[in-house]
Amino acid sequence: MGPLPASLFLLALAAASACDGAGTGGDEGGGPTRGAAAATPPAVRYDQHVPAGGIAPPGINPVNPFTGQKPSAAEGERLFGSMNCDGCHGGGASGWVGPSLSDGRWRYGGSDAAIFQSIYYGRPRGMPAYGGILSRELTWKLVTYLQSLPLPRDLPTEAW
Amino acid sequence: MIRISCLLALLLSLLVLSAADGAAQRPARRRPPRKAPRAAPARPAPAPVPGDDGQWTMPGRDYAATRFSGLAEITPSNVARLRSVWSFSTGVLHGHEGQPLVVNHTMYVVTPYPNVLYAFDLTRPDYPLKWKYRPYVDPNALGVACCDAINRGASYADGRIVYNLLDGHTVAVDAASGRELWNTRIGEVSDGETTPMAPFVVGNRVIVGPSGGEFGIHGWTKGLDLATGTIVWTAYNEGPDTDVLAWPGTFKPFYDKGADLGLTTWAKDTWKTAGAPVWGWISYDAELGLVYYGVGNPGPYNPEQRPGDNKWTNSVLARRPRDGALVWAYQFTPHDNWDYDSNAEMILADLTIKGRPRRVLVHFDKNGFAYTLDRATGEVLVAAPFVNLNWAKRVDLATGRPVLDSTKLTGAGKGDVKYICPSLEGGKSPASPAAYSPRTGLFYASTVNLCMNYQAAEIGRIRGTPFIGASTPYVAGPGGNMGAFIAWDAARGRRVWEIKEKYPVWSGVLATAGDLVFYGTLDGWLKAAHAKTGRLLWKFKVGSGVVGAPITWRGPDGRQYLAVYAGIGGDWALLSGDVASDDPADVRDPADFIRDLARYTSKGGMVWVFAL
Repeated sequence: MGPLPASLFLLALAAASACDGAGTGGDEGGGPTRGAAAATPPAVRYDQHVPAGGIAPPGINPVNPFTGQKPSAAEGERLFGSMNCDGCHGGGASGWVGPSLSDGRWRYGGSDAAIFQSIYYGRPRGMPAYGGILSRELTWKLVTYLQSLPLPRDLPTEAW
Repeated sequence: MIRISCLLALLLSLLVLSAADGAAQRPARRRPPRKAPRAAPARPAPAPVPGDDGQWTMPGRDYAATRFSGLAEITPSNVARLRSVWSFSTGVLHGHEGQPLVVNHTMYVVTPYPNVLYAFDLTRPDYPLKWKYRPYVDPNALGVACCDAINRGASYADGRIVYNLLDGHTVAVDAASGRELWNTRIGEVSDGETTPMAPFVVGNRVIVGPSGGEFGIHGWTKGLDLATGTIVWTAYNEGPDTDVLAWPGTFKPFYDKGADLGLTTWAKDTWKTAGAPVWGWISYDAELGLVYYGVGNPGPYNPEQRPGDNKWTNSVLARRPRDGALVWAYQFTPHDNWDYDSNAEMILADLTIKGRPRRVLVHFDKNGFAYTLDRATGEVLVAAPFVNLNWAKRVDLATGRPVLDSTKLTGAGKGDVKYICPSLEGGKSPASPAAYSPRTGLFYASTVNLCMNYQAAEIGRIRGTPFIGASTPYVAGPGGNMGAFIAWDAARGRRVWEIKEKYPVWSGVLATAGDLVFYGTLDGWLKAAHAKTGRLLWKFKVGSGVVGAPITWRGPDGRQYLAVYAGIGGDWALLSGDVASDDPADVRDPADFIRDLARYTSKGGMVWVFAL
């Protein structure tokens, strides 16, 4: 291994310091923020991921502050159109060029935190990061909308 | 215990970071060829056929984009004996549009994303690979490719294979060794541009364009230098004449005259994010020195956000390849209300129309009209419906404009407009190029018989995200068959015969001097029909649905071969999401209008080769 770039050192330091007081970067779903500068990354834990060595990485598990709230889900549904989410994920989030978000199945985890992370920071197979133009509060409302979608009844089997 | 886990976390983060860092510093994966390719064993050269060298060196086989081969070993009387002699899995499951190339007894196959290029040695038993080229392609492009991560193929010129990567790059690869010669960034993924179209090479110019009509791009065409990959000219499809390269004295349109039409036919700055993609095919008339290509839809789909004709969306443009100068243009669908892109191929032919020999260009538009134009001037000679359509009554040949049915106009203020035909999949998809046989004088096209409702909505543009603004569910058109394969008389504007198909027909077409035409179906059959009568003579189940285009060539043994891709996808990856079985986290119901396609086919990328 050659000389370490400075950025790598910084990140390694950040990883080490996170061990001291876990979860300082947590987002409690406070007031709306504007722009990337104001957006502190929430520490997240992927509930459904397999922890290496059986040890879950540190971090807190941000919880959707609007879980189950119908007005928030309705606002999230509006955002799903106005933020052009439906252009990729289809009307009703039933899948288009992007995956279905209404089948109860998740590429990157279906916990509050994982869905938040997918929207806010994007995903490497083409999901844009919306954190620069969406506040955390509005991101949670999108999460609330997706979580409010009814699951198909006979999901695994398609029969003719 | 805490200390140990912290140390572990630190080490792991270092590992992950160094891996990520390495990836960031390695923009393209390069590997030197292991050794020089061996020379093919000496064998007698195949006897040349006049007018046909038995190869397939560009997407449409020739500059005129006829997809006609002079090979005639396979005929209506022996096609029943056609059998598969070889197949190869590409290892990729996205839609396999486009076609292989066969040059110097080598078959070149470009896969959908991640755009691997395979070179098969056709001189050896089992067609072993000579090499494969695996470029780096940005996976973020997957998020701005409107309709599956497809690729429409490569062009061969001057010892090079030239093709586009999905993420806005054009590459040239040495046809013998597989070594990358140049890799030019032509598009910007973060602005919604992807590049699945097949480059077209004229002389030392490589002509390319972007997809992104659903992402509010500012559409363009670029001319690259074949030797170096340098971008020589960029011509925008909308905007001021200086951007469009419409120079006074050079630009001579037949119908619409005036300065800055790409600016004055738009409200305010709407032209800057108006789509106008170039995702189809290009053809070339060497005598006139013009290339022809179609321009796609304006964005967004809600027409109320972009008053005006919206030139030059939904148009054919004729340019000089050397400098990109626009010589003429014609707009098929002014102020598009229905997403009727005009990216379909422009097939060049010499036809006799009303007793006069004419040099024409024939185009099957998504809007359901087949057009026969004078390719020197852009004058419309014939325009007739080749499928069921109801958005227009006819095309006025005096003005070149469609005569609209006002009840089929759309917009956010018009609510849900019902039953517009054809659907925005088009009466024929530009993704499935037609063929022309000079022996029969007929054109052969895969058609789609779907109609749609169209509910437009106000939409804002967010860079790098979709810019659409319409919901458009489909239903089967009259008759219930969702597709047909047709023979078309472009001199008279009439259908000569048709083969009805249960599903939309989405494959390219091959016509041969053996008087056969070949096409594929979404449920996975490759079919051969008599070019004169339309009688179905042969079919073979290739597994996955066919959205590619069959080709034919003469092998090293002098025999005629035929190849086609299997691999359903493209729009059908979206429209029948239940043909996918590769993602346990994405499971979809069938589309309402096509509830049983997944009963007969599933995704899968294969190359098939056939011979007698």
